[in-house]
Amino acid sequence: MPQRLFIDVHIVQTVPPANVNRDDQGNPKEAVYGGARRSRVSSQAWKRATRKHFDTTVPEPDRATRTRRLTSELAKRIVRDTKLERDKADRLAGALLTRLNLSQGKKASDTAYLLFYGNAQLDTVAALVSGQAHDLAALDDEKLAAELKDLPVADAFSTGHPVGVALFGRMVADIPKLNVDAAVQVAHALSTHETQLEFDYFTAVDDKTEKEETGAGMIGTIAFNSATLYRYATVGFAQLADNLGGDTEAALDALDRFVDSFARSVPTGYQNSFAHRTRPSLVAVVVREDQPVNLVTAFEEPVVSEAGIQAASVRSLAHEYAAARSAWGDVPVHAAATHTFASGKPGATETVEALTEAFGTSVPFDELRSGLRACVSAVLEAQG
Amino acid sequence: MTATGPTTVLLLRLAGPLQAWGDRSAFNRRETRPEPTKSGIVGLLAAAAGRPRHAAIDDLAGLGLGIRVDQAGSLLRDYHTVSDYRGRPLLAAAVNAKGTQRLTGPAKYTHITQRFYLQDAVFLAAIEGPAHFITTLENAVRHPAFPLALGRRSCVPAQPLVLGQRTGPLEEVLRAEPWHVTDAVRKRWGRRNGNAAHVDLPLTLDDPAGDDTREDLPLSFAPTSRAYTSRRVRHTYAAAPTGLTPHPDQPPSTGGHDPFALLGW
Repeated sequence: MPQRLFIDVHIVQTVPPANVNRDDQGNPKEAVYGGARRSRVSSQAWKRATRKHFDTTVPEPDRATRTRRLTSELAKRIVRDTKLERDKADRLAGALLTRLNLSQGKKASDTAYLLFYGNAQLDTVAALVSGQAHDLAALDDEKLAAELKDLPVADAFSTGHPVGVALFGRMVADIPKLNVDAAVQVAHALSTHETQLEFDYFTAVDDKTEKEETGAGMIGTIAFNSATLYRYATVGFAQLADNLGGDTEAALDALDRFVDSFARSVPTGYQNSFAHRTRPSLVAVVVREDQPVNLVTAFEEPVVSEAGIQAASVRSLAHEYAAARSAWGDVPVHAAATHTFASGKPGATETVEALTEAFGTSVPFDELRSGLRACVSAVLEAQG
Repeated sequence: MTATGPTTVLLLRLAGPLQAWGDRSAFNRRETRPEPTKSGIVGLLAAAAGRPRHAAIDDLAGLGLGIRVDQAGSLLRDYHTVSDYRGRPLLAAAVNAKGTQRLTGPAKYTHITQRFYLQDAVFLAAIEGPAHFITTLENAVRHPAFPLALGRRSCVPAQPLVLGQRTGPLEEVLRAEPWHVTDAVRKRWGRRNGNAAHVDLPLTLDDPAGDDTREDLPLSFAPTSRAYTSRRVRHTYAAAPTGLTPHPDQPPSTGGHDPFALLGW
């Protein structure tokens, strides 16, 4: 089992006028930091976007789904494996899942809450009965319950967690045995600079207006702001591997895909109004054997726009990283960055130098990921 | 403290954009206290030491705790919605005789929760205990087993978290420590207060004879048997050094009660 090993992901990303994560007034979420008002995107909002992206990249058996229709999902697999009739499979699946004592929902085949499960886990449970499904289906309820009593159904759900659960955790209020503590920690994204809330006043024209009628069909406002966000997440590799049953290869895959999904995803709030999807201008990964280090302190003093905010923000981040490294003397195992600043452009040379000084020469994102994987594997080998 | 032998104090600086220190909230309204709770600090230490949720925590809960409010911050209300992605009505909190949850009636589709955070706050936590144990804990916080959080998972601490060990009584340690705020806040405060050399900061200290209680002493973090009890605390103020040099011609400070000083206004 790996010891202390954390992978910090630092992202600087500019979002144009948008309202990705709104509060009950419909305004973009905000927070005060360093005495200045900042744009904020909650960690939950960005985790959901990451998770959805994550699920599109994972092969089917590793996917995790959040559903209450656990019984029918299991029944489908029993039918697939054994060619049993569907109604018999439903009954068998129901009997299997009663071993979990999940609270039942409104419909008999539903659980009372959304359960985050992995397809591989359901395959395991279905496999428990596949050899004897036809015999079991012929039994009456009482005998069936007795036959199934000793099958390790709960074990199948409490081990071999799907990658999504291993990363993001799971909470089942009345069965703590099924709970999984998340291996990633995601901070709320904050703007590196002070933001003002802006309002877009709009009128909608009624295309069928009679000639005598004047004025708009409706009027309204949408609040928005534009922000260069600092996004931070850290992956506790030891816990990730532990959640995946000690399978470090699977944990390496999960880490790699998480970094990919965290970097590429954007919450979709008000997307059709603002088309705000952007790519990060900087993704930096830092592998540490001591502790995770959040570099948000780089922006406690809000960045002031001179020739744009982006370059000043990443310089500030690079300086904070370098300063923390020299002040505390704890040198990370590995640091690498992918960024979009080119030294050829006027004014960008200083930015590129600061980034290179801190994280090394920019590498394409694919190389960043493969380098990270190689580094973590090497650390694991060294740790034994 | 019932420990024998020399005691030491571990100083932590709890700062970050957001913190959340709930002591009694559950379900839809997750509140925060205006200062860190003992359960939050014990939880942080337990996470650092890599203790699973069901592990015993009496040794950690038995440590003395003092909190100094260096920058009070302000309250942030975060609005949260939960809905069923298939567009179905949500379930009610009540259950019927069979123990199953009913659907909400009239049908409710979006569930709203409120999460409260402290934004832009800085606290000093002084943790007092037997010297060797404190050293172990300091090492654990510097090399935590699980990522640490300021009361809630998404509240990532800003560095530096550990300020190191100090000797002497807990209260003295908190009084001697310089004011941990940014230069901008210090300067702004100085302009309004004639660059006074000291600032009054609120202290909350564990004290069996204290005149106030807190319901935040954890007995167990095990998911099936979470339990808390109360502890007695005492409130006072510490005149912490600001590091500013008062101008000889100006009055040394506002000389009186200035509740806004803490906010850096």
